[in-house]
Amino acid sequence: MAESPPLDATSREALAELLLSVADDEFVIGFWDSEWTGIAPMLEEDVATSSIAQDEIGHAKVLYELLAELTDEDADRIAFERAPDAFRHASLMNHARGDWAFSVARRYLYETADQVRLAALAGSTYEPLALLAGKMRREETYHLMHADTWLRRLADGGSVGRDRLSNSLECLWADAQEIFAPLIGEETLVREGILPEPMQAMSMTWQARVRPKLEPICGALPAATPSIDGRMRRTSDFAWLHGEFTSVARSEEAATW
Amino acid sequence: MDGERVWEVFRQEDEGDPMMHSGNVNAPDEELAMHYAREMYGRRGESHRLWIVAREAITELDDPDLLKPPFDRSHKKPGGYVIKHKLQAAKERAASEAGE
Amino acid sequence: MNDADTIQPLSARPPYPPGDAEAFYAHVGSGGKVEADDWMPDDYRAAVLKFVEMHANSELMGVLPERDWIMRAPTLRRKLALTSKIQDEVGHAQLLYRVAEDLGKPRAQMLQDLLEGKTKFHNVFHYPTRSWADVGIIAWLVDAAAIVSQQALRDSSYAPYARTMKKICWEESVHIMHGRDVVLTLMNGTQKQRAMVQEALGRWWGPLMQMHGPPTDPAKDKDLHWGIKAKNNEQLRQEFLSIYVPRLLELGLRIPDPLLRHDAASGRWEYTEPDWAELKSVVTGHGPASQSRLEFRRVNFADTQWVRDALLGNAAAA
Repeated sequence: MAESPPLDATSREALAELLLSVADDEFVIGFWDSEWTGIAPMLEEDVATSSIAQDEIGHAKVLYELLAELTDEDADRIAFERAPDAFRHASLMNHARGDWAFSVARRYLYETADQVRLAALAGSTYEPLALLAGKMRREETYHLMHADTWLRRLADGGSVGRDRLSNSLECLWADAQEIFAPLIGEETLVREGILPEPMQAMSMTWQARVRPKLEPICGALPAATPSIDGRMRRTSDFAWLHGEFTSVARSEEAATW
Repeated sequence: MDGERVWEVFRQEDEGDPMMHSGNVNAPDEELAMHYAREMYGRRGESHRLWIVAREAITELDDPDLLKPPFDRSHKKPGGYVIKHKLQAAKERAASEAGE
Repeated sequence: MNDADTIQPLSARPPYPPGDAEAFYAHVGSGGKVEADDWMPDDYRAAVLKFVEMHANSELMGVLPERDWIMRAPTLRRKLALTSKIQDEVGHAQLLYRVAEDLGKPRAQMLQDLLEGKTKFHNVFHYPTRSWADVGIIAWLVDAAAIVSQQALRDSSYAPYARTMKKICWEESVHIMHGRDVVLTLMNGTQKQRAMVQEALGRWWGPLMQMHGPPTDPAKDKDLHWGIKAKNNEQLRQEFLSIYVPRLLELGLRIPDPLLRHDAASGRWEYTEPDWAELKSVVTGHGPASQSRLEFRRVNFADTQWVRDALLGNAAAA
C-alpha cells in the first residue's frame, strides 16, 4: 500500500463514507446499464454499453476492496450484505433503467459529474485513492466520449429522439445534483485534503460545464443544488434492484459462490 | 438499416507489428465505427492500434494473372539462388589446389 | 547446373473459372477456400448462409437464458465474468451476422426472420434457467458442446466463417473456464449447492445430447462434402462425451442416462438414443421458452426502433 498520512478514527470514518459514496454510485449505475446487455438498439452498441457497465462494476469492486482494507471487512460482503437504507448512492441512481434516451441522459449527467469528482480525487492526500482515481479517469475518457456521442446523436436525430432526451434530462436534473450531496464528515475530509475540494464547489464547476451543453436541448434548467439527504433517499425501483442482486447471495448463509 | 455502412478493422497486436485485417463492423459513420471497432477488437486490451477503413475505400486486387503469373520468377526470390553444390565443388577444388 | 529443384513451380491456374460449378465443388472438396466476393454456385451460397444464419441466431438467442442472472450474480467477480461472457455472445452474433450479410442477406431481414419464427436457433436456447447452478452448467457444458462444433468449423471452406470461428473459439475457451469454476465452487460448497448442480444437470443432459443433431448419412451430407463443416454430428457428440463425461463423474455428479457407457472394444460411447422428436419440436419453436423469448426480443426490438430511426436520420443528414 502506498504511503499516506496516518488516519485517526474520525478521518477513517469520513473516508469510509466517501469511498462508499463513489463505490455505490458506480455499482448501481453499472447494474442498471447492464440491463441493456442483449437488448440494446444495435448489436455493436450492445457490446459497447456492456463494456461501460462492466467498467463501472469493476471500479466499484476496487473501491469496495479499498474500503474493505480500511475497515477490515470483505468487499463482497460490503456489496451484497447491506440493507437498501445502508447504500450511499446519489438519488440519480434510484431510477430504473428506462428507455434508451433515459439511459443516455442519466449516463451523460453522471459521467460529466464523475469527471469533476475524479479530477479532484486524483489529488487526494490519501494515496491509494489518488492512484485509483487516476486510473479510473483513463477509463472514463471512453465513457465520456460515448456519452457525448449519444447525447448529440439523439439531440440531432429528429424530434422523437430529441423530445425523449429532453424529457429525460428535465426529469433527472434535480437528482443529478445529488452526486455532490454533502458527505457525512466532509469537513474532516476537506481539512485533511482527502477530499481536495468541497462538494458544493465541485457542483458549481459541473453545472457551469453542462448547462451550455444541455440547455440548447431541453431549454433553461431550473436553479438546483444538492440536498442534505441526496445520498440517503431510496425508491421502490432501487428496492427491486436490491432484491434481485442479493437473491442468490442471500439464499445460502455463509456459502461461497 | 439503410444508413449503415461496413467498416473494415485492422489491428496491430504490439508496437511495431504489421496491421492485420481482423474483421468489420456496421455503423452509420466514422465516429461510431471507431467506438465499435474498439469494442469488437480492443475491449480486452488486445490491440496496440486500430485502423478503421470504410469498405468502399478499399481497392481489391485478386487477379491471378497479375499476382501469380506463369513464367519463372525465381530470380526474384532467395529460393532461386541455391549454391550448395557449387560451393562444395569450389571448396574441393581449392583444397586440392592447396594440397599440390 | 543443379538448380532445377529450387525453381518455383509454374503458377497454378486460377482455382476455378467463375461459373464452373463442377470445378468449384472439386476445389472446396479438396480443401480449397472461398472468399465473400468470389463466384460461388447458388446452392453453396444458400447452404453457407443457412448454416451461418442459424449460428448467428443462436448466439443472439443464447444471451437470453443467462441474462436474468447478471442481475443476481452473487459476487462482484461473478457479476463481471457473467456480464463479460454474455457480452461476448452478443459480439459473436455481430461477427456471424456480418459474415452472413456479406453473403447477400441484410441484417435487418435476418433479425426480422428470426423474430417472426421463420429461421431457427439451436435447441438449448429454448429451455428456461431455474437456478444459479444452471448458469454454471450452461457456461461449462453448453459452451463446451458448442466449441466442439466450432473447432471443427475452423477448417470450413468458406474462409470468412473459418476466420470468425478462430476468434470465437478463443473467446469460448474463457467461458468454459468460468463455467467450470462456478460448478466446482458449488460442488465444493454446501449440500444444498451440490444438490442444485445435480438437479440442473438432470434438466440439461437431454438437450445437451440432442444438441449436435441426429446422425446423418455422410454420403448425403452436403455441408460435409462442400467443406462447410468438417465433422459429422455423431463425431462431434462422441468428442463431447469423451472429454466431459469423465470430468462430470470425477466431481461425484450422476449423469441421468443408465445406458451411458464407454465401450472399450469399439472406442465408442453408448447412450440412450436422444429424443429426436423433441429436438425437432423444440427447434421449430415449441420449446418451453421458445415463444416467450422470441416475444421478449420482439418487444425490445420494437421499443428501440426509434433509436435506429434517429441514427438513420443522422446519417441521412450527414
